[in-house]
Amino acid sequence: MTATLEPTSVRNTATSLVDLLDRLLGTGVVLNGDITLSLSGVDLVTIKLNALISSVREAT
Amino acid sequence: MADTVVYLYALVRPGVVPDLSPLRGVSGTAVRLVRDDRLACLVSDVDEDEFGETALRTNLEDLRWLERAAREHDAVVAAAAREMCTAPLRFATVCRDDASVRARLHVLGPQAAAVLDRIDGCDEWGVKLYADPSSPVPVPAGGSVVDEHGATGSGTAYLMQRRRELADRAFAVEQDARAADDVFAVLAESAVAARRHRLQDPQLSGDQRPMLLNGAFLVRRGDADSFRALVHAVAYGRRSIAAVLTGPWAPYSFASTEQDP
Repeated sequence: MTATLEPTSVRNTATSLVDLLDRLLGTGVVLNGDITLSLSGVDLVTIKLNALISSVREAT
Repeated sequence: MADTVVYLYALVRPGVVPDLSPLRGVSGTAVRLVRDDRLACLVSDVDEDEFGETALRTNLEDLRWLERAAREHDAVVAAAAREMCTAPLRFATVCRDDASVRARLHVLGPQAAAVLDRIDGCDEWGVKLYADPSSPVPVPAGGSVVDEHGATGSGTAYLMQRRRELADRAFAVEQDARAADDVFAVLAESAVAARRHRLQDPQLSGDQRPMLLNGAFLVRRGDADSFRALVHAVAYGRRSIAAVLTGPWAPYSFASTEQDP
């Protein structure tokens, strides 16, 4: 039996940023504000974020 | 003094709303309510120098800024969701002023009411499944046997062995994918709604195990314990799969006004 379950409480432990961004950037009611970035803009952000995070990891 | 713009967090019903004064939003701002007849919205007044269009484009690419703002945004949405039916808005929704917010609430009213009805009394739970690389590679039924013909150092024997290993690994990947589909289906059946997020990039998550499922499940608050128990049961029932449960979240993944794909 190799399966493991690691329950993490969002309230008790640091929520992983990537789990949070899955929800904040990819979901939610879209209300087009005056300054809202377009969906494609947000996709662009996540792609750029990839490069950014890998560069942060390399630097530390 | 810099101009302010209005940052939007989430939609709620316009009836009785708990005291919002203890809440602090993005950049430590106070949280208040903008109401229309059928819909209300949690907002903060924020600095245009930080949340205006030009500033946002720059700030969203700054990981430290993004992380702080994302956590501050979530803190407001999560606190609201604990107290009332709350439909989160997409991150970084910003309007010029209250009149602009009200005009949009007016248009969104009927659709938003349907969303609020759907998520009422529910939390979101995340279930991530990973292939466990420490588990032995499963072998197809009637599958690989030790090659007794090839002598040590035989190129042919080596190639055959190598080919067999690759085939076994491909079989394992296929098995894992099927197991993830099964787990998703079982959990979805006991949830109000379910959806799959894009699999996370190991560079972003820092988890090097191959991800099999990044699922989100809308679960009635009263069913949370049985849902958690079900996650345990299905995860332990599967060889070579590791499960990570996150939540409860505000119902982010189910607050879409668009139809599910």
